[in-house]
Amino acid sequence: MSGWNRRAFLGAATLVALQAAVAGGGAVLGKLDPRDAPSPRRRKLMREVAEHVIPTTGTPGAGVVGAGDFVLVALAHGLSGTRKPPAADPSFAPHLRPDGSLDHAAWLEVRLGAKWLALPPARRHEALAALDAAAYKGEPAAAPWRAIKGLILTGYYTSEIGGSKELNYELVPGRFDPKVPVTPETRAYSSDWTAVDFG
Amino acid sequence: MDETLHFDAIVVGSGITGGWAAKELTEAGLKVLLLERGRKIEHQVDYETELKAPWDMPFRGEGDADLYAREYAVQSLNRHFTEFTQGHFVNDAQNPYQTGADTAFTWFRSYQLGGRSLTWGRQCYRWSDYDFGANKRDGHGTDWPIRYADLAPWYDKVEDFIGVAGAAEGLPQLPDGRFLPPFALNVVEQAARERIMANWPERRLTIGRTANLTAEKEGHGPCQSRSICARGCSYGAYFSTQSSTLPAAQATGNLTLVTDAAVEHVDYDPATRRITGVRWVDSKTKARHQATARLVFLNAGAFNSVHLLLNSASEAMPNGLANSSGVLGTHIMDHANTLSAAAIMPGFEAWTTFGNRPTGVVIPRYRNMETMDGIGHTRGFSFQGGALQSTWTAGKRAAGIGKDYKNSLEKPGPWRMVLVAFADCVPRATNRLTLDRTRVDSNGIPQLRIDFAFGAEENAALAQAKADATEMLTKAGGHVMFGFDRPGPGGTAIHEMGGARMGHDPATSVLNKWSQAHDVANLFVTDGAQMASSACQNPSLTYMALTARAAAHAVALLKSGAL
Ligand SMILES: Cc1cc2nc3c(=O)[nH]c(=O)nc-3n(C[C@H](O)[C@H](O)[C@H](O)COP(=O)(O)OP(=O)(O)OC[C@H]3O[C@@H](n4cnc5c(N)ncnc54)[C@H](O)[C@@H]3O)c2cc1C
Ligand code: SF4
Repeated sequence: MSGWNRRAFLGAATLVALQAAVAGGGAVLGKLDPRDAPSPRRRKLMREVAEHVIPTTGTPGAGVVGAGDFVLVALAHGLSGTRKPPAADPSFAPHLRPDGSLDHAAWLEVRLGAKWLALPPARRHEALAALDAAAYKGEPAAAPWRAIKGLILTGYYTSEIGGSKELNYELVPGRFDPKVPVTPETRAYSSDWTAVDFG
Repeated sequence: MDETLHFDAIVVGSGITGGWAAKELTEAGLKVLLLERGRKIEHQVDYETELKAPWDMPFRGEGDADLYAREYAVQSLNRHFTEFTQGHFVNDAQNPYQTGADTAFTWFRSYQLGGRSLTWGRQCYRWSDYDFGANKRDGHGTDWPIRYADLAPWYDKVEDFIGVAGAAEGLPQLPDGRFLPPFALNVVEQAARERIMANWPERRLTIGRTANLTAEKEGHGPCQSRSICARGCSYGAYFSTQSSTLPAAQATGNLTLVTDAAVEHVDYDPATRRITGVRWVDSKTKARHQATARLVFLNAGAFNSVHLLLNSASEAMPNGLANSSGVLGTHIMDHANTLSAAAIMPGFEAWTTFGNRPTGVVIPRYRNMETMDGIGHTRGFSFQGGALQSTWTAGKRAAGIGKDYKNSLEKPGPWRMVLVAFADCVPRATNRLTLDRTRVDSNGIPQLRIDFAFGAEENAALAQAKADATEMLTKAGGHVMFGFDRPGPGGTAIHEMGGARMGHDPATSVLNKWSQAHDVANLFVTDGAQMASSACQNPSLTYMALTARAAAHAVALLKSGAL
């Protein structure tokens, strides 16, 4: 089976896996400290944001696989250093927790504006792309976006679909082959732990 | 437990060296009690995360940062510590230690059956006479009472038993061992090897020598190239106590294993000038137990063995057991360790790899051998590292969202190559372990205090390592992005050692050339505590060889009636 065929085949099988993945995210969300438990609106926002970053193509996107919920759990637990006090910026002040850390989700909600969810998809995309560009240009007031986007990637590529359908996953390769030609079908392995670590 | 338990030998600690001591002593016919402070982890049965995918884990393999900040503040700094392996490292909050005001020391530990044999990186390198002769040559520390020839047959024995994959290179500074077939260099590393050798014939990039079974061996392996070893491997395809030495010791019928047994005191009888036995605390119930034996092997891991000796002070030995010299606890070391250079390696885009090779590459020491060509230092450094491709995690650093961005992350990313230096650490009296007189652990034992700093020699070595690594990667066709010339905190290399050094002279060393206490004939310390210098190789193979050698000597003494 060629790479493309295999991917198309797996695409059809994803719906079942999806339900399991999303249920998993929910289970952890349920355990959050009430102060960090997200409202339905915030869950929807994060889901949509994730889907804009990694959209559904031949494989489901990040929103669909539940990366939004993962991001909320991850932020509540301080993954990627998100519980460390942020660099000082006046626009962060309303979103600081008592411990001095930034509530990234609350910040994002305000930064994107109350109407973002109601915008047509193309406008939403534009607004998010502008935030992304500002953050990667080094604008301090946009900096928290980098951590959020990073966690969306983690949520996606460590989900069953992102990790084993969009990319390949092989827990037991069985051999090490030091020289393999790259072809149009080549997909990265999410189980290449060294690459993930040092990527 | 029965208060009158008596054994031929007691081994304290079940890690890399304790497993070897238990195997050698039981195989020689001795009745051995193996005491391990940590929990029991049974081979295959208890490797709980071995088969898990990231999506099976609550935090997707990254782990709960909040929990780590509270309870694993030190352990989580180590790259091998992940959500998959966290159960194989200590909880720092429950196992505190102290450091001096000017000391940053990250002490990476595994308190469990198997110790750090479960979590280690498996790199196995012989020492050479450049290493055993180092102290004598430049005057730092005291001379080793042994040379390579004393240890060579024991290296043979250890490699034959554990299985080390590697390539013979015929280098005097890194003697070849008895190797299983090597893992292969990938395309970039192969090219780098050739280009580096073309410029510097004495610099030999070769595949890491690793205790992973590239061929099946007595029902173990072969290695499946998963590179998830620290989770525990049901194939038994890397060396650990569980996969190798413990089953051998148990097969003799001479082993008694007690886990959750934290040894707090080694008892000394001044009348006979012998150890009589040990006392321990049950880590779970806090009940106190004891046993007697004709000889004791300390294998608690370098710093813990020294801790135990310091804590075993008695009226007859008020400064610590076997410490008439006063040097117990001093001259501790860890390799000075840093990422010397990281480069993008263009020109190999047509190639990738399949499988996860559980080792990187090594460039053995090439400085300060026949010619003293080190700038500001008299010893060696070597590099480990390798070439790898980036992947989706690189997307975190890249601008973009949407379909094109997603598609840009689906292929293996650009090739990079990294060289990480390990530099010899000079033994210094001021780098030392002591008991903290004000703080105790959960068993009421004074906590260990670490005072440690690198000095001018290590900084000079890493400065030269950075310059050399930059030059080599550039000549190999790379564009160097960054590199460092300052060591990470002490402990970063996880090669902490020394504190009960071996030496000729009882006035300046704790152990003789058989790893036997000068002061107490039936006491052996065969872990990293015995090291008189650090070399720049990963040390555990040498600890194993020294342990096997000491065990043979102890058995001979016992059988001859000398003990
Ligand atoms: C991530 C990692 C990677 C590494 N990579 C390499 C490598 O590639 N090559 C290499 O050579 N080395 C490597 N090391 C270092 C290597 O693991 C150690 O050198 C080696 O394990 C030391 O063996 P040991 O028997 O002295 O101590 P350990 O393996 O640490 O075992 C000591 C045992 O003693 C027990 N213990 C401690 N105190 C007491 C007490 N009071 N009573 C009873 N039991 C006690 C502990 O619980 C533990 O089980 C690595 C280490 C780590 C953590
Ligand atoms: S790489 Fe080899 S030794 Fe390591 S876990 Fe996989 S099979 Fe076991």
